[in-house]
Amino acid sequence: MNDSKWTWRAVGLVSILATLLLITGFVYAVSDIINPKGETLLSSLPQETAAPTAAATDELKILALGDSLAKGTGDNSGQGFVKRTLEALSADGGKAELLGNMGINGLTTAGLQSKLQEEGVQYALRQANVILISIGGNDLFRGSDILGTGSSSGEAESSADTENPADGIAPLGTESAANNTVEGSAPVPTASTDELTPESLLSALPDASGRLGSILDTIAGINPQAQIYYVGLYNPFGDIADLLVPGNQAVTAWNNAAMDIINTHSNMTLVPTFDLFNRHLDKYLSNDHFHPNGDGYQRMSERIVQAVH
Amino acid sequence: MTNLLPLIRNECLKIIKKKRFYVILLILLVLVPMFTYAQMRIAERSRDKFNSDWRLEVQQQITDNQNSLGSDRIPEEWKSYRRIFVQQLQYYLDHDVNPNEPSGVTFTREFLDNSVSLFIPLLIMAVASDLVSGERTTGTIKMLLTRPVKRWKVLFSKMTALMMFVSLIVLSAFIISYLVSGLAFGYKGFNVPVFTGFQLSGDTVDMTTVHAVPQWKYLLMQGGLIWFVSVVVALLAFMVSVLVRSTAASIVVMMAALIAGTILTNMASAWTAAKYLFMVNMELTGYLAGTPAPIEGMTLAFSMAVLAIWGLAAVIISFAVFTKRDILN
Repeated sequence: MNDSKWTWRAVGLVSILATLLLITGFVYAVSDIINPKGETLLSSLPQETAAPTAAATDELKILALGDSLAKGTGDNSGQGFVKRTLEALSADGGKAELLGNMGINGLTTAGLQSKLQEEGVQYALRQANVILISIGGNDLFRGSDILGTGSSSGEAESSADTENPADGIAPLGTESAANNTVEGSAPVPTASTDELTPESLLSALPDASGRLGSILDTIAGINPQAQIYYVGLYNPFGDIADLLVPGNQAVTAWNNAAMDIINTHSNMTLVPTFDLFNRHLDKYLSNDHFHPNGDGYQRMSERIVQAVH
Repeated sequence: MTNLLPLIRNECLKIIKKKRFYVILLILLVLVPMFTYAQMRIAERSRDKFNSDWRLEVQQQITDNQNSLGSDRIPEEWKSYRRIFVQQLQYYLDHDVNPNEPSGVTFTREFLDNSVSLFIPLLIMAVASDLVSGERTTGTIKMLLTRPVKRWKVLFSKMTALMMFVSLIVLSAFIISYLVSGLAFGYKGFNVPVFTGFQLSGDTVDMTTVHAVPQWKYLLMQGGLIWFVSVVVALLAFMVSVLVRSTAASIVVMMAALIAGTILTNMASAWTAAKYLFMVNMELTGYLAGTPAPIEGMTLAFSMAVLAIWGLAAVIISFAVFTKRDILN
């Protein structure tokens, strides 16, 4: 009986204390949620201290940035040129690591510009010494929806294909909705193209290449030590007779504009891909007739490896 | 006039003697190490991948979520959830705070966030579902009621004892998960800032009211909310145990309700009237963390009101039935 007396006292005391504690927490929580008080906040990222770590190592620290090509859309193995490049670079006995792949489906130059304002992206850029960029395809080919939805699922893409077997261009018109879902890819004024024409392809060029210039400047400003590799565009519509010539012209104009910008910086390289795909689209493009397939990405990565080494 | 205190004491001792509470502690002691181990493996893997740089990891998480936003195959509700999630991660990143700083305290916080809707209620039910129906199964209820004590006093003492154990169970869930996970992640982390006060409106998050609280205070607030949910669950389970003759049936009824709740929260966004059900409103801690409520229009005040009404109704029904009913067999 004495035993149970002590049990009772202990349980009673502890449970009362516990209840009081929990009620206090409850009151705090309710008042905090119902009347939240904002406050001026703590520090920002330690920018100055973080920078030096990137320099002076033999190790390649790779960061990929840009659109669905950077992400690797269309590659059934999911690797894209980024992972393939990484593999090839580390296979040579060198040390290479991937800091991150910030590729986002449907990203345009405008979207990338606003992404570069984010602390997290800037931080990642400062840590890297090899920066791979793929951007511009969505600015140039906005009339085509494929990059916009950039659906990573093979099934969705192939089903779109069977509906439009003739032209290989996926349904038009849903593009702006899909693009708005990606944060920061603000709609760029386009001549709402029902069809890709030489004019529509070229109309976006001056603005977009201007943005590309400022993107590259910004990145070089954030990390002056890093080597920057810009992946040039190819013409995905070469297998459509009507689009072969205008597509080639537009892509070449873009690549030339990019080359002009890149030549003004000592630590930047343009990696051309136009010739890799021209006349071999059936071999190196995936089912969506826009993104490269695994083999296509493999060829792109070989180019990049040659440029890095 | 018999005093209530001896009755409460009697009920408490009964709960202890039945060893239900020890079973609960044992369950915690077995399950928490399992979760800790799983969490440790996740932490190890991401350390390998991201070179223990959490900023890169969070940035990659943001990018991955943004990518899934572009896909047409993802339902709209998930997208808005991810959009909110991205904005919160961005906020953590902008203020240089690691949202997943591995420590015993962080583990406790996350573990309890995940267990508020099913695991903790389950532990509560282990005690509550048995209180009255157990007496019937064993037949001891006749002994209890033939004493010269008013019936409402008997029931009240049982309810009070239950409330005491609810507090003990919630507290021990916190303590055990902290002590066990601390072995793996270290016992520090009470002062790590956690952001709260995200105001959700549609897809966007209003950041003006966001503020940092030290993690210990966050745990305290979380404990309070879990306690409130647990009290309501306890009262409901108690009511069921008054209404139903066997303990097994009373546990099944409550379990079915709770599991229905978790299923409904995953798919109820179309059926808005479901927000008046208690089991959809159990994730009070979500309001603290800023996760979107399962059904549009739910707020903390709303959920608390719904839970309070259900709890109150349970008390009234329990007393009405218990004081009137004939005890047969």
